[in-house]
Amino acid sequence: MRIPILKLYDCLLVSIQWELDDATALQFQEDLLHKIHETSANGVVIDITSIDFIDSFIAKVLGDVVSMSKLMGAKVVITGIQPAVAITLIELGIVLDDVLTALDLEKGLEKLQQELGD
Amino acid sequence: MNELVYKYIRDNRNNILDNWIINMREKADERLIKVVSDEMFARTSSEFIDMITTRLTDNGQEFLNRLTDFAEKVVRLGWPLTFVNEGLREFSRITFEGMMDTGLVNQDNQMDIIYDFDSFMTPMNNEIVNMYSQTWEKTVSLQKIALQELSAPLIPVLDRITVMPLVGTIDTERAKQIMENLLQGVVKHRSEVVLIDITGVPVVDTMVAHHIIQAAEAVRLVGAHCMLCGIRPEIAQTIVNLGINLNEITTKNSLQKGIEAALEITSRKIVEMEEMEE
Repeated sequence: MRIPILKLYDCLLVSIQWELDDATALQFQEDLLHKIHETSANGVVIDITSIDFIDSFIAKVLGDVVSMSKLMGAKVVITGIQPAVAITLIELGIVLDDVLTALDLEKGLEKLQQELGD
Repeated sequence: MNELVYKYIRDNRNNILDNWIINMREKADERLIKVVSDEMFARTSSEFIDMITTRLTDNGQEFLNRLTDFAEKVVRLGWPLTFVNEGLREFSRITFEGMMDTGLVNQDNQMDIIYDFDSFMTPMNNEIVNMYSQTWEKTVSLQKIALQELSAPLIPVLDRITVMPLVGTIDTERAKQIMENLLQGVVKHRSEVVLIDITGVPVVDTMVAHHIIQAAEAVRLVGAHCMLCGIRPEIAQTIVNLGINLNEITTKNSLQKGIEAALEITSRKIVEMEEMEE
């Protein structure tokens, strides 16, 4: 099942609603980059509120997606990282250094607008 | 229990008690004497001897109850286990010597009496040690729970600003709890800025710093800012001397400064009333 990527003005909106498996994650990476190219979006919000567990591969893919989008000129905000997921990421040593984060979708969009406005 | 010994103890109870108190007073260290008044010492001693003699007449529940009471009382008074143990040994020594002096013990029956005496004293000794360790374990576990409750409170002080004051040494277990509470609190209170106040943390070593950095990173991942407040001069010195890199985290020297900075991040500020009226 593919993850839907929605266009909202000059941003893309992705809400991941179920646990990702490796194939879906890679498919998502490809889809998102194509979509950015297609729509020449300036920003992307990825909401992972409903994800309770994450493994190192998915975390790496997420990090890669962020770096790749950045290369294509789109800022990425990840929103709704659950406490347990944050702890796992830190324990795995994945710090997602250059990723913007926000508490929820609303705040994420605000943050993105702010970033793009600057 | 040998009738002979029992009779002797019963008849010479007061004598034994007096001797015992005198001997024990010499043996007790100053610390003990200071905390316990003379009267209290005499009373507790009497109770102790009473307890031992209960064991003579009745070898069951009654003794166990009294022992429990006594152990709890003694632990509360702060008598060391070694002292109580010594007391028990002293009691048997005095009794035995007394019996020897009066000629109750002679060549023929000494083995029997020693054997009897030993089988009387040893279980009592064990029970006392057992009771003591149980009481201590209970105290320790209660304190552990109390410590856990105190370990990581999270206080929402202003809208979108939360403070976690840390007091006391941080170990791995506590760090884990701090991290969990911190993240859950941030999500629950929907905070934008979290201030970790370490005024009450006596030592910040590499391990503690590592835990704090991890917590700050995790807070950033859930989408909030993390700030470290209350860094005392000696803490700053240790951090730099240990070569710990806290560059990623905003640090402030007091909670007040931290809150001001937090307000700034959430684009608010505190203004005085007069200023507003102008």
